[in-house]
Amino acid sequence: MSTKTIGQEFIKGLWDENPVFRQLLGLCPTLAVTNAVINGFAMGMATTFVLIFSSLVVSSIKKLIPSQVRIASYIVIIASFVTVADRFLAAFFPPISKSLGPYVPLIVVNCIILGRQEAFSSKNTVGRSVTDALGMSAGFVLAMLVLSAIREILGAGTFFGYQVMGPWFKPWIIMILPPGAFITLGILLAIALQIERRTKSRK
Amino acid sequence: MKLSVRMVVVLTSIGLLSGSFLATVGHLTKERIALNKQREIEAAIIQVVPGTVSSQRLYEERDLSVYGGKDNEGNIIGFAIHASGIGFQDKISLMLGTNSSLERTNRLAILDQKETPGLGAKITDYEFFLTYWENRDCSVPLTLHKPAASSPEELSPTEVNTITGATISSEAVLSIVNGSLEQVRKLIQEGKLSSEAQDVN
Amino acid sequence: MTDNAFILQSSPHFRDKDSVPKIMYAVIASLVPAVAASLYFFRLKALALLLCCVAACLVTEALFLWLRRKPLHSLRDGSAVITGLLLAMTLPPSLSLELAIIGAVMAIAIGKQVFGGLGYNIFNPALVGRAFLQTAFPVAMTTWIPPVALKIQTATYATPLANLRFEDAIAKGTLTPLKDLFIGNVGGCLGETSSFALILGGLYLLSRRVIDWRIPLGILLSLTAFTGVFWLANPEKYASPLFHILAGGLLIGAFFMATDLITSPITPLGTWIYALGIGLVIGLIRLFGGFAEGVMYSILFMNAFVPLLNRYTRPRILGEGGKA
Repeated sequence: MSTKTIGQEFIKGLWDENPVFRQLLGLCPTLAVTNAVINGFAMGMATTFVLIFSSLVVSSIKKLIPSQVRIASYIVIIASFVTVADRFLAAFFPPISKSLGPYVPLIVVNCIILGRQEAFSSKNTVGRSVTDALGMSAGFVLAMLVLSAIREILGAGTFFGYQVMGPWFKPWIIMILPPGAFITLGILLAIALQIERRTKSRK
Repeated sequence: MKLSVRMVVVLTSIGLLSGSFLATVGHLTKERIALNKQREIEAAIIQVVPGTVSSQRLYEERDLSVYGGKDNEGNIIGFAIHASGIGFQDKISLMLGTNSSLERTNRLAILDQKETPGLGAKITDYEFFLTYWENRDCSVPLTLHKPAASSPEELSPTEVNTITGATISSEAVLSIVNGSLEQVRKLIQEGKLSSEAQDVN
Repeated sequence: MTDNAFILQSSPHFRDKDSVPKIMYAVIASLVPAVAASLYFFRLKALALLLCCVAACLVTEALFLWLRRKPLHSLRDGSAVITGLLLAMTLPPSLSLELAIIGAVMAIAIGKQVFGGLGYNIFNPALVGRAFLQTAFPVAMTTWIPPVALKIQTATYATPLANLRFEDAIAKGTLTPLKDLFIGNVGGCLGETSSFALILGGLYLLSRRVIDWRIPLGILLSLTAFTGVFWLANPEKYASPLFHILAGGLLIGAFFMATDLITSPITPLGTWIYALGIGLVIGLIRLFGGFAEGVMYSILFMNAFVPLLNRYTRPRILGEGGKA
């Protein structure tokens, strides 16, 4: 059982236990769909939806599930919400659904979601679990936005589709291709580690 | 309750609940998703066969569908050939409009592609690439004009333009177009496809 | 956890402080003929690119040394100058200077310093910079201008290899003559035009024993064998091995890039495998790949195998394992 306050439960997902920068989880969508801010944002929102509802359901029925079949149960619950997210995007936002392609169904295997169920929702109250899910989602969305903003601005000269760089700017096409994702994530992780070291040594 | 029984009961009920939940969601969104797909295809048909009021699917197989664009009176005024093939990186899916005798191209639209941004991806650019595919004489296989021409007037009627630095993408589009035209001609010869308007149903 | 929890072991670690600058300056000296040729063929454009790349490499190196709190005097070892020179030699003469500077910064930053600086990098830094530019600005990196000495004036000017690969040059009879390739009177990157100047520099390096003779020889052998087979089978479609050797970046790659002491294997057997592999991959890319030229990618590709080659081709110590 967690001993943090509800506020701390939310805040920890933003930085101290940020799923991407600190836990290095969910890197597949982080690398694959951050080529434009709109894609990164949509992916973040879809993951948020799945994570919050999975945490809600898992924490409310945690006592009913025998521990031997817990992983199977979690996956079925997660997969249901992923399918809902996928259908919803296909029905109401077809262009986004098309550009995210197979990465929406792949949220099922996103370690952030299963990891939170196993590590948190299965041991904590509904209120705490949903707060934790909100915090983790916010951290994930934050990481997706930072990464996709850097990649879209440098790679296409735009932000959310709006031109932000002047005509003098030659887009770095590499940034919206897979190598750009790895280079950007690597540099961001190095910066995150450096910040962490600095703050620790000050304490 | 015995543990093994409990495991079966819990998993079965979770499965059943999630199954019925998904069936409902699937049912609610099915029509809208089908409508989205149809709209996308229809928009492309109207784009490549100008003057289309309604359209009809005439033929369908893997990687090749043929639609007929019809005018007010229900006569087919042109074909919209939806074909796909392998490009430099991944599948290229395109829609080619021709007149009803399959001798002249109307317009070309690229529906889906993952070519290199800035190079091969220029196949979606109208000014740069697609404009060179309008009004071509496609009764014989089209050929690429190399090196790239800077205006449509420089091309002979059976030629289309190359993208400088992305020869492979240009060639891929060309081979999809030529291949699908040939296939459609064969289908007409075999009587599997007709340019006469058919009654729906 | 301490900072030295694990140490990345890669190719030779030069601990002998005196020998590094000596080797580096021999390499710089060997580049003089090729640099002179590029200045002759592309004039001010070549000069500007060379100066920008070298300056940007030195500034980036200094910045990283300062960030990592290392002594600045190791700038004098000349390795950043070589990276800058080699990078400039692989750029198209018409490339704008700001793009060249981006490439130079990337070469030092992600090609060398993120691995821990000189001696720890896995990939040839100059080629990392070029690969970055090639992927980031594919159009600018494949726009060529003819050398000043060449009298032809056309809007787009293909390199001899692009001409061969995408324009059916053999069938049309427009294949670049070998004589022009040898002198350097062709379009291409700064340093890939004059075969003569490159061979001169390469021979100097070989005579000073700065580079391992197995590497250029192995690359030439496997490329000759690979392209030779196809040429003998169908000379109407495939160019001769001599054309492949003289055209494009093969000679600069074989003498100056693949031979980088840090990113090439240390054992003789490993070196042979590395060199033959480079030649083979170049042949594969040039004949069947999506690019006209494959020297850069093949060297980077084989660089990745160097730690593995060093590990598995280590000579057995007397009395160690195996049957007697």
